[in-house]
Amino acid sequence: MITWKRIRLDNFLFPKIYDYKKEFIRLEEELPLGIRLDKIYDTIDRTKINWLSTNEINGLGKEFISFVNEFYNSGISLYLQKDIKINKPLVIEFNMDKENPTVIDKNIIVAEPNSEATIIFHYSTDDDIEAFHNGFTEIHAKENSTITIIKVQRVNSLSHNFDTNIAYVKGEGKVNWISVELGSHISGSDYTTFLEEEASESNLSSIYLGDGNRKMDLSYSMIHKGPRSISNIETRGALMDNSKKVFRGNLDFKKGARLSKGAEEEYVLLLDPTVKSDSIPALLCEEDDVQGEHAASAGQISESQLFYLMSRGLSEREAKKLIIEGAFRPIIDRIPLEGLKQIIDSEIERRLMNA
Amino acid sequence: MMRDMKILNQDFLIYRGEGMERKKTYIEDVDRGIYDVKNELSYKYKADKGLTPDIVREISREKNEPNWMTDFRLKSLEIYNSKPIPTWGPDLSELNIEEIITYIRPDTEMKHSWDDVPEDIKNTFELLGLPQAERESLAGVGAQYDSEVVYHNIRKELVDQGVVYMDMETALIEYEDIVREYFMTLVPPSDHKFAALHGAVWSGGSFVYVPEGVDVDIPLQSYFRLNAPGAGQFEHTLIIVEKGSRLHFIEGCSAPKYKVNNLHAGCVELFVKENASLRYSTIENWSKNMFNLNTKRAVVDKNGTIEWVSGSFGSKVSMLYPMSILRGEGARSEFTGITFASKGQHLDTGTKVVHAAPYTTSTVNSKSISKDGGYAFYRGLLKVAPKAYGCKSTVSCESLMLDNESISDTLPIIELNNDNIDIGHEAKIGRISDEAIFYLMSRGISEEEAKAMIVRGFVEPITKELPLEYAVELNNLINIELEGTIG
Repeated sequence: MITWKRIRLDNFLFPKIYDYKKEFIRLEEELPLGIRLDKIYDTIDRTKINWLSTNEINGLGKEFISFVNEFYNSGISLYLQKDIKINKPLVIEFNMDKENPTVIDKNIIVAEPNSEATIIFHYSTDDDIEAFHNGFTEIHAKENSTITIIKVQRVNSLSHNFDTNIAYVKGEGKVNWISVELGSHISGSDYTTFLEEEASESNLSSIYLGDGNRKMDLSYSMIHKGPRSISNIETRGALMDNSKKVFRGNLDFKKGARLSKGAEEEYVLLLDPTVKSDSIPALLCEEDDVQGEHAASAGQISESQLFYLMSRGLSEREAKKLIIEGAFRPIIDRIPLEGLKQIIDSEIERRLMNA
Repeated sequence: MMRDMKILNQDFLIYRGEGMERKKTYIEDVDRGIYDVKNELSYKYKADKGLTPDIVREISREKNEPNWMTDFRLKSLEIYNSKPIPTWGPDLSELNIEEIITYIRPDTEMKHSWDDVPEDIKNTFELLGLPQAERESLAGVGAQYDSEVVYHNIRKELVDQGVVYMDMETALIEYEDIVREYFMTLVPPSDHKFAALHGAVWSGGSFVYVPEGVDVDIPLQSYFRLNAPGAGQFEHTLIIVEKGSRLHFIEGCSAPKYKVNNLHAGCVELFVKENASLRYSTIENWSKNMFNLNTKRAVVDKNGTIEWVSGSFGSKVSMLYPMSILRGEGARSEFTGITFASKGQHLDTGTKVVHAAPYTTSTVNSKSISKDGGYAFYRGLLKVAPKAYGCKSTVSCESLMLDNESISDTLPIIELNNDNIDIGHEAKIGRISDEAIFYLMSRGISEEEAKAMIVRGFVEPITKELPLEYAVELNNLINIELEGTIG
């Protein structure tokens, strides 16, 4: 039983897990040589990831992670050989329906030195079913590799969504995260990046939209261990109706992370008097020669912006929609898949116009 | 390019350091001069170690308290025994409360003329610069020595205007109704374990009552001091500023160091009524074995203002989060704080602001410095209630680290429960930039002085809020603290 105070999860029990029978790897063309993409239960080569120190992993909590490790029903293992670069994103798509209402995905991505790839994970639900997703993704980005992970979460308002993401980044490696949180009744997601070595880098951009009775706990951690490591967190969100969100941003400079830089910024638009918005940005520092910054701001859409747009003939709702979309646009534009961008755009538009 | 130069520069510094005897020493080796003077102990009365209902009754009887207060103390003791020691903050396992003597009364009666104060006590205060400050146009000095106020004076014109400034014990007898109405209503004993302990064994402290429409144009001051080894200090400060009045209250602390762990669990309750304004300034400089678990809280009515100016130095562990409850429309709070954590210190400080009414505003400006393995933790809460629309708040936290043995953390929690608000928060962490030092040195200033200048500039927003003699003292403290770091 799990109790999670801030998002009102009381004595939560994991539901019964069914097999996920649908195909989730979307491949339009053959993968080049040097890449191994398998379903998780086919192969996991643990020897490739010898620096993994599992005791550091907290994610959403031991319960959620060990549940995935024991009961996973889907997921990928991706292995990129040295110097291999793929330009086209790999798309992993989970669509939960009546026959497949649960996704417990375990994903492992290992990028050898100087490799590069973009992986998109898309979680959605079809019908008005009560779906359940609990995932765990771990990434090992070795020297000078670049991995971009895009996670789009659009499950319906009856469902629960939990997702833990961990990355280990070696010297001059880079992990980019883009998180789009649009759905679920209760959603908890955690992204933790360990910047292990010199000049490792991680950027995280996320957007969220809270409507109805949605409750979200979004937690982003950048743990600087290597010198000259760089991190950046940028979060934008909008809350309406009775929705609630908790934002946790942690910049943690461990001893030895000298000359590192970290920045985090959160901006939330509050659209209704009934919303709840908690922000817990933490800045932890054991090393003096670093630069850390965080900023959070919250407020309403400015009257003058609204007035301007409405004077141009837009209704209030349209004007608000335009402003919110404007705030989300720079992050959505980073998704390198036209079709998915359109899906996200129309989903946001539908939500804002129905409000 | 720039970065390469920086590294070269650092290498050079290390090289230069090898041949020379470095001045780097730790604070405990530095003679803190007047801050470490202690007197021979002399008691009239000393309670047994540990805490039982009998001891609490004895304390109450010794003070000739009314029955309701005795009952209040016993009730608090019950709550105290039922509550666990908080574990979410600094490590308190070294704190053995049973060992701490809860009540020591100095061998002196209340004096109203400076000449009557015993010589040794006088000497200590003199070293702390108190009598001069008192003689030079300040209204009243209520200096707490051990557990009771030994010296107390207030200017005649304030008395004529109806301003009451006295020790809590006397207030309990002379103004029993007022004390009974307000005492520990803002910080109830059920709040946390140390509030309950305070309720059970409180002793000494100040009582200030400013009637409607009185502008107290000179700051009231009190200086607290701990002297007996193993003695806890549980002073209670109760300030009521009635409608349209204005007051500046200054509380300063300094204590010599002792080997026995010391506990300070004071309580400050401030009531700011409609259109009233109160500024509460503190410099806390406890000795480095002190556990400073102080609770301070203010409640502000319509269009009232509370201003906190807070300097936290000294102590082994501090948990101090002055709280402002803005319950009247248009109420305002302002917090300006500086925390300086040095070797062996864990200072967990911050502020809490609750916007409980519409159109309330708050500003938080916190600075912290850590060095020689010191641990400075800013922990803050900003909460906006569902009906508190039109609120505005700005929170800014800055941390300066003077070396890489120290730790500095920032954890500001923001909870918003409506949409019609304007909230901004920012935090920064870092060290003194080499460029700034280089610039100052190129102007002929030594490296030590350049660093000290930058640190003084960093804390300037705090010092400028303090009256001159306190600003001077704060700068002295910073110089004493910095001694040995730079070199």
